[in-house]
Amino acid sequence: MGDFFNSLLRPIELLVAWIMYGFHQAFTAIGLDPASGAAWALSIIGLVIVMRAAMIPLFVKQINASRKMQLIQPELQKIQKKYKGKTDPESRQAMTQETMALYRKEGTNPFSSCLPILVQSPFFFGLFRVLNGLEKISLGQSDEIGPITKEVAAQAEQATLFGAQLSDTFLRANNTATYVVTVILIILMSATTFTTQRQLMTKNMPASALDNPFAKQQKLIMYVMPVVFAVSGINFPIGVLLYWFTTNVWSMVQQFYVIRKMPAPGSAAEKALHERLAKRGKPIPGEAERKAAEEAEAAAEAERASQRVQPKSKKRAKKSGSGSAAKKNSQTKN
Amino acid sequence: MTLGQVAAKPVIWLVRAYQFVLSPMRPATCRYFPSCSAYAVTALGRYGLFRGTWLTIRRLGRCHPWSPGGVDHVPPLPGHIDDGELIARHIPHETTT
Repeated sequence: MGDFFNSLLRPIELLVAWIMYGFHQAFTAIGLDPASGAAWALSIIGLVIVMRAAMIPLFVKQINASRKMQLIQPELQKIQKKYKGKTDPESRQAMTQETMALYRKEGTNPFSSCLPILVQSPFFFGLFRVLNGLEKISLGQSDEIGPITKEVAAQAEQATLFGAQLSDTFLRANNTATYVVTVILIILMSATTFTTQRQLMTKNMPASALDNPFAKQQKLIMYVMPVVFAVSGINFPIGVLLYWFTTNVWSMVQQFYVIRKMPAPGSAAEKALHERLAKRGKPIPGEAERKAAEEAEAAAEAERASQRVQPKSKKRAKKSGSGSAAKKNSQTKN
Repeated sequence: MTLGQVAAKPVIWLVRAYQFVLSPMRPATCRYFPSCSAYAVTALGRYGLFRGTWLTIRRLGRCHPWSPGGVDHVPPLPGHIDDGELIARHIPHETTT
């Protein structure tokens, strides 16, 4: 089993080693001291940038999906209205099922699946193993990994970030610098993840989604997460924590961008965006459709109400109904 | 309960542990209903360790950013009603979210 795992991770370790080595060479070429912690720390950050840049197509997909979500908003609201105030598990399941069926029908989906995280995790472990193995490689006790030869490993192993070796872990170290840097990185990691999640919950969720039990559970977990980070963080080398922190920062910025430009319909962020647009005198996307839908609804309502009293007004109501529908069509074309 | 279903129990507990501990730490990501983990629990409970695992692997293979996602239930046992039908009719049953 261990051997199988090793041979599975080997190519990823090699790839991680080559990317890091490439960045290290580049930073050395522009004048950084090859043995410095800065050169090696920046190489790790370079690794994050390569990883996340490779995933930009997924990010673009996410943006397109949120754009499309705006368009199917009226139908989504119909489902939400149908299940308004129903909190029993059967209703919640039926509601989720109908929502998912709608996504499928409309060819959009706001979720990204767990593949992105599954793809990233081997690289995380690859980096973990490369950093963890540096000492043994430098001592000649384990095999060299591609460009990470005995000499390179020795150099990287000695590289320090604010006095803490990149390959050091909190639990195995006995110097204050490693303790301090680990604690700071754990705090930064927790803070970035916390902000990312909190942004999503407080700004980018419609109020109707905020009071369901699932959101409440997630809120609780948000406060437990720093503990999880602390427990796992003291087992990881500083370099891995640096990778983790950098990738968190990337996620946070990326999400901030999406929430600002393409907020979820009905959320606080959408309201803020509409206010910004209104201030600058720009048209609010979806507003015309929403108004048209409201008018059509009102017309239909009027028709239903008037039917009993005056059969004559039915024609009039129909006329205004088809009129607003035509208006809606002309607006969606723009 | 068949032998396969008994053998599937520990795996089901593992998936449940994931659902209670790891999953809530991440935003909702699954493109399908039921989510892959819920699908796994149902598939393992219904078809036992081997076929349940096989169904789960196939579902995980289907769940990627280029798949349309949507509603995708574990196939019903012969003579049983599909889970989607039960949910649409608000009939309580075993599927977890």
